[in-house]
Amino acid sequence: MPDGRPSKTRPGQERYVARLEDTPLHDVGALDTTAPPESQWKEAWKQLRKNPLFLISAALILFLAVVIAFPGLFTSNDPTFCRTGKSLRPAEPGYPLGFDRQGCDVYSRMIYGARASVTVGLLTTLIATALGLVVGAVAGFYGRWIDSLLSRVADIFYAIPLLLASIVLLSALNSWFPDRGFWASVLAIVLALALFGWPQVARIARGAVIETKQQEFVDAARALGATPRRNLLRHVVPNSLAPVIVTATVSLGIFIVAEATLSFLGLGLPTSIVSWGNDISAAQNQVRAGQRLGTMFWPAGALALTVFSFILLGDAVRDALDPKAKKR
Amino acid sequence: MWWYVGKRLLQAIPVILGATFLIYMMVFLRPGDPIVALFGDKPVPEGTYQALREQYHFDQPKIVQWLLFLKGAVTLDFGTSFSGQPVIDLVQRAFPVTIKLALMALVIEAVLGVAAGFYAGMRRGKLFDSTMLVVSLLVIAVPIFVFGFVLQLIVGIKLGALPALVSSQATFRELLLPAIVLGLVSFAYVLRLTRTSVIENLTADHVRTARAKGLPDGQVNRRHVLRNSLIPVVTFLGADLGGLMAGAVVTEGIFNVPGVGNLAFDAIRRGETPTIVSVVTIMVLVYVLTSLAVDLLYAWLDPRIRYA
Amino acid sequence: MSRDLNPDQPLLEVKDLHVGFAADKKTVVPAVIGANLTVYPGQTVAIVGESGSGKSTTAHAIIDLLPGTGRITGGQILFEGQDIAHAKKSDIVALRGSSIGLVPQDPMSNLNPLWRVGTQIKESLEANGVAKGKAADARVVELLEEAGLPDAARRAQQYPHEFSGGMRQRALIAMGLAARPKLLIADEPTSALDVTVQKQILDHLDRLTDELGFAVLLITHDLGLAAERADHLVVMYRGQVVESGPALEILQDPQHPYSKRLVSSAPSLASQRLSSVQARAEVREQAVQTAAEIAAEVATHDDELGEGRGTIIEAKDLTKVFKIRGSRPGQSTDFTAVDQVSFQLERGTTTAIVGESGSGKSTVARMVLGLLDATSGSVEFDGVDITTLRKKEQQLALRRQMQPVFQNPYASLDPMYSIYRSIEEPLRLHGVGTAKERETKIRDLLDKVSLPASVMTRYPNELSGGQRQRVAIARALALDPEVVICDEAVSALDVLVQAQILTLLNELQSELGLSYLFITHDLAVVRQIADHVLVMQNGKVVEQSTVSEVFENPREDYTRMLLDAIPGGSIPLGVVEAGDDV
Repeated sequence: MPDGRPSKTRPGQERYVARLEDTPLHDVGALDTTAPPESQWKEAWKQLRKNPLFLISAALILFLAVVIAFPGLFTSNDPTFCRTGKSLRPAEPGYPLGFDRQGCDVYSRMIYGARASVTVGLLTTLIATALGLVVGAVAGFYGRWIDSLLSRVADIFYAIPLLLASIVLLSALNSWFPDRGFWASVLAIVLALALFGWPQVARIARGAVIETKQQEFVDAARALGATPRRNLLRHVVPNSLAPVIVTATVSLGIFIVAEATLSFLGLGLPTSIVSWGNDISAAQNQVRAGQRLGTMFWPAGALALTVFSFILLGDAVRDALDPKAKKR
Repeated sequence: MWWYVGKRLLQAIPVILGATFLIYMMVFLRPGDPIVALFGDKPVPEGTYQALREQYHFDQPKIVQWLLFLKGAVTLDFGTSFSGQPVIDLVQRAFPVTIKLALMALVIEAVLGVAAGFYAGMRRGKLFDSTMLVVSLLVIAVPIFVFGFVLQLIVGIKLGALPALVSSQATFRELLLPAIVLGLVSFAYVLRLTRTSVIENLTADHVRTARAKGLPDGQVNRRHVLRNSLIPVVTFLGADLGGLMAGAVVTEGIFNVPGVGNLAFDAIRRGETPTIVSVVTIMVLVYVLTSLAVDLLYAWLDPRIRYA
Repeated sequence: MSRDLNPDQPLLEVKDLHVGFAADKKTVVPAVIGANLTVYPGQTVAIVGESGSGKSTTAHAIIDLLPGTGRITGGQILFEGQDIAHAKKSDIVALRGSSIGLVPQDPMSNLNPLWRVGTQIKESLEANGVAKGKAADARVVELLEEAGLPDAARRAQQYPHEFSGGMRQRALIAMGLAARPKLLIADEPTSALDVTVQKQILDHLDRLTDELGFAVLLITHDLGLAAERADHLVVMYRGQVVESGPALEILQDPQHPYSKRLVSSAPSLASQRLSSVQARAEVREQAVQTAAEIAAEVATHDDELGEGRGTIIEAKDLTKVFKIRGSRPGQSTDFTAVDQVSFQLERGTTTAIVGESGSGKSTVARMVLGLLDATSGSVEFDGVDITTLRKKEQQLALRRQMQPVFQNPYASLDPMYSIYRSIEEPLRLHGVGTAKERETKIRDLLDKVSLPASVMTRYPNELSGGQRQRVAIARALALDPEVVICDEAVSALDVLVQAQILTLLNELQSELGLSYLFITHDLAVVRQIADHVLVMQNGKVVEQSTVSEVFENPREDYTRMLLDAIPGGSIPLGVVEAGDDV
């Protein structure tokens, strides 16, 4: 107790007791039972719905889905119907964006091109994420030699740059199947990209799992009698999904760009398939010559808008799922 | 620390072995006989055919070919290309050009990305921040070769401000435009990373403490916010050097840069195993060494990290 | 130190202060509502309150460092008569450090990890124009010495991660006092530290206050600590000042119902000491009786582990050695976290393990729970050595009979599981009952821990810390265990909630005949819940005895030091009746 100090009260330090009416006491254990119960995902969803970035990107992606499912709604022209006489001609009625070098309709090719690009992105993301999640979760959860082994394997695939590795693999695959159809060529690209894309997801998943498994609720479940496998599947993985989902959304966009780049290098989809990548690649000579920039602008713009939407979606989802971002 | 370096280099051995093996196997997936392909439509003289088969060890089992390659690689003998030149000569000529290009791209993306990201993070939600976010997203969303063509056309051809193509000399001025194109995507990532990091650090307790001791804003932002935000950015930049060299496949093609990207791409088209594997091996080495360098740099930047 | 301060002129006056945080563009959530307080030169004034009371927000408003969207929405802050709530930014920056210093709460996060400690203190000297260059370097060493840091010249060259928590807090004090402010705001300066370190640092700060004559505004959640260190108390609750006045007066005669609650709940205060001993004896009597009945039943059951002995847990020479990897491969050093610890837990009683951080107390708990393998020694559960249990059924049986409640109620429940699923999980894992029976059981459990059945559909993030801890207790009780291991189960909670949970644990013990192993760093809590105590230091047991023996007759110096460090322990008894809960 501080003694020897003046004990007389000074102005501003008189004894003060607030009136109970002004400062009512609340029950320490009070529970707000009026609001509906909310899980973390529901809460994230509620936050997402308020985020304009999410609304914009979700609307764009929905629109894209409609374009892919029903291209006939947007154009009645056949994208593969080309007349050399129309080569590089400007827009005319029924052909709002003019014609490319082969004399094909730029607009209808832009509409039909969505399918191949988005399919590649979607499938690659699914496979790479699934593989990366399994490897990353097992490595992070079990640790020790399993972790060392899986991490080295992931390193091998990660050490070869994605683009270079997929070029090598595709140049081999493509020569095996020179006359491949839509699905065969799509699957070849998906395979090449996913095979070298999963380590990225695995790294993220491993980190998230290591962080989650140190949480007390995992110990608590162990003490309740949960087996390690149950703990991994029921507690650790569900709580580590958020960063993986964010990575997956963003990489969907990256894979779409990668497909276009492969097409540009002549290793993507065969030219018989209508795709944005092929059209952009085919337009390079016009751009070099400085004529009819629209032939590149439209497919490139459509692709960019698509990728843009997915990355924007990833950003919005991260903001909603990241508890640290929520506080700010 | 040397123990750590040693350990990391040991760990790198299986990675390099695995990666070269992987590349070997992928190249062998190619159907047909590379020697026949080399001669195109012309018939291959029988004697020459046998000589070439032996020279390139195509008569050996695949795993032996890989081991023979590794044996040679240790002594820097990467075999000869189909045109008869030693691969090491080709690589020695192309490699410095690509390194120069990649380093220029790295400097451009680092300086612009950090500056723009820091400024955007400090003004979170303001006009500059929103603009930069949109710009960075667009840069990531548009395929890099589209930027390549457009910049080549506008800056190189229409304005004539910079050379549109690179000669065999590969001078600094000639490489400037391709370097900008090459660094563009990473610029967007650096910007976003710096911005996020700055925003996170702005709310850190120690930054508040720095303000509480009376430090003016400028010093707090420079010494405490920016300094701390640079750590993840540096990590990214180090890891990015390998990515830039791979990205050079596209950029070098557009600007006709005589670097490893072009070399690799031509070799892949021809199925020229020794050159492909050599270039990829070198890229893997670059990746392994830069990530080690980044880890050591990390320890220098962050005194908390001590290697065990 | 000579200062031109009129001791009768207030140094700081906070008048009708309102602070709010903008939740979105329209709504402002108030955090401080009409707060008033006055600090005179050289005086120590304490703001006491629980988390969310607005005490730290008030402190941050004074130096204009409100986080995020926080804004002063009304009132005045007069520093030496000047209103600083509405001053120019540059004026406030000029004031910081040289007139108002801050010692922040968490020593771990408040030093920049990338700069040397000395450099960070030097910044303060240079920014406030106290000293420059070489002179500043010399001054830094003096300041660190003054803050009680030995070997200051070498320490100034080190980085924060090379400092312990207590050393960092000393460095922060040196930093806060570097430019000799007239007012030092100490925001929970020791709450992250061990009690003995806390006492050393507060004692040192007291000495400096007397020597240098600066005023202190102490922000704390600990009423005992506040009363011991301050002349004048301000009690805050939900953003409002509910009571203020001379420290001793408030402690002995609290008027506002909230202050009364606080005084009666503070475990360290004298009022609590009297009642808890008696209450504990009653609980024990009842619990031991119930436990004996259960033991008789256990002995006849085949699927349960144990023989129904009186000693339910017996640890013998329990030792844990961790291998710490060295910088070279194959090189490692041994760290003995737990060294030959032996104790017994009698059925229906509570044994507390008390120690500071690094004492090995939690490691003991984890070994007893079977979450960590012991290096040597054994743990017997009711006569069965659990370190050698191999059969799966036996391991599961042990899990049923012994359950943990962990420290952090925010981390010990899976955030993705509803409360119903969380409590149901042990029942499912052990295949207990049908879905319907399980639901009945869960309702019953929630009732036992005094939670409404409506929380079943909720998720942990919607519950307060105390509520979550109740859920964790309900989950631990789901399988009708005989032993519950509480690892710091109340230390993350506010005082009032802590008191409630302790009461609940006592009630459950007497009703269900539970045996508790209670791990805590807080000796003050022990009296309310435990019968036997182990005092641990550096992995070893230094003293082992009954609770009353340890409190009244501590044999070891270390135990005595721990007892002395309990804040508020020396304050004379007030006239409040314990249990006078309004």
